[in-house]
Amino acid sequence: MASYQDPLDRIVAGNRVYAQHTTEQDPTAFVELSKGQAPEILWIGCADSRVPETTVCNCRPGDIFVHRNIANTVHADDLNAASVVEYAVAFLKVRKVVVCGHTKCGGAVASLGDADLGVTLNTWLHPVRELRRKHKTELERLLDDDARAVRVAELNVHQSLDVLKQHPAIKKAINERGLSLHGLIYDIGQGQLRLLEETSSKKSNGLWSPN
Amino acid sequence: MSDPERVQKYLQQSHDKIFESNRKWAEEQKAKNPEFFEKLSAGQSPEYLWIGCSDSRIPAEAITGLGPGEMFIHRNIANLVCNTDLNVMSVVNYAVRHLKVKHIVVCGHYGCGGVKAAMTPQDLGLLNPWLRNIRDVYRLHEDELDTIKEDGPRYDRLVELNVMEQARNVIKTAAIQQAYKRDGFPIVHAWVFGFNDGLLKDLKLDFESELAKIQKIYNLPS
Ligand SMILES: [Zn+2]
Ligand SMILES: [Zn+2]
Repeated sequence: MASYQDPLDRIVAGNRVYAQHTTEQDPTAFVELSKGQAPEILWIGCADSRVPETTVCNCRPGDIFVHRNIANTVHADDLNAASVVEYAVAFLKVRKVVVCGHTKCGGAVASLGDADLGVTLNTWLHPVRELRRKHKTELERLLDDDARAVRVAELNVHQSLDVLKQHPAIKKAINERGLSLHGLIYDIGQGQLRLLEETSSKKSNGLWSPN
Repeated sequence: MSDPERVQKYLQQSHDKIFESNRKWAEEQKAKNPEFFEKLSAGQSPEYLWIGCSDSRIPAEAITGLGPGEMFIHRNIANLVCNTDLNVMSVVNYAVRHLKVKHIVVCGHYGCGGVKAAMTPQDLGLLNPWLRNIRDVYRLHEDELDTIKEDGPRYDRLVELNVMEQARNVIKTAAIQQAYKRDGFPIVHAWVFGFNDGLLKDLKLDFESELAKIQKIYNLPS
């Protein structure tokens, strides 16, 4: 049994180990990192602690530019996410934008009902709850709330992608340099990513269906 | 091969790489601990909320040596906590009121592109309103910052002051003040990450005395 360690000491110690290992493996690692970043991917994911993007994708620092919020939701009027997108797409020129939802998402589960979560969270989740209302019949046919939450998470990823497609920097980058958008679902119980098929009738950029 | 085809092939490869890496990672975890994912599937009870920069070089869990399930994470441009921003406020609310995290770490980093962009006299369009918050931090600490003549050290100091200011913004919320009064946590911390050595630096925000100062004006008791 591990002995008790103060949670703060633990991450400070974890950071020391990280810095040491990184330097041991590559003495110039931090010199390279301090020169700048050129990530290829912008990841918009859930704040959920069980979906740390760099870890689950087995990537390294410098690979993925990240925005994480409650239920990986992109609202058209949200300046926080819009600023991340603008910076990543217009300035860093990432090549892909990924929206990743996940199974067992607290935000998706909360959106299956209308329980009062306080005015802040109620407002934030409102568009996700609206999705549930819009797809009521389809959701009711599903086996249980677990399946319904996964479906709501999927619908929410698609909705976020639709909002992103209207972002001026994204529109421009799709036309000018072939930026692509992708929806993913991370299965917490399996630890695996699943690619969502494009569902809207809107013209896809066709990158993942070259045939 | 034509150029668009080459681009397509390249993108397909980097895309496949992510899935490939993810599968490899999942298999490794299962080999180490067959119940790893089952346990995670049961729920999350992270002790920490991390509010950091979107910068790709600072994956919070990796640089603190934490695994999945241990840290709730929000990342945006220049780790800002704006009181009218429903996005960050929802994260704080959920982490404090529902997950009952013990520690909130606001972490900035030296060499932050967002901080640098904010101080560049240039119209950045959509980014202007977001980055304006950093100029406001400068204005609050103008006297100190103006005494630093060289650009590098002045940006470094602005990065630190920005983190302190955003940590204060977290403390100004009703969620924190009420939870702290009731439970004695969460505690808010202000840290900076340095690329030169990969280490976190504690700016030693004194939570109790900051809270007392803040409550003189921003008191939000339950
Ligand atoms: Zn989630
Ligand atoms: Zn930054």
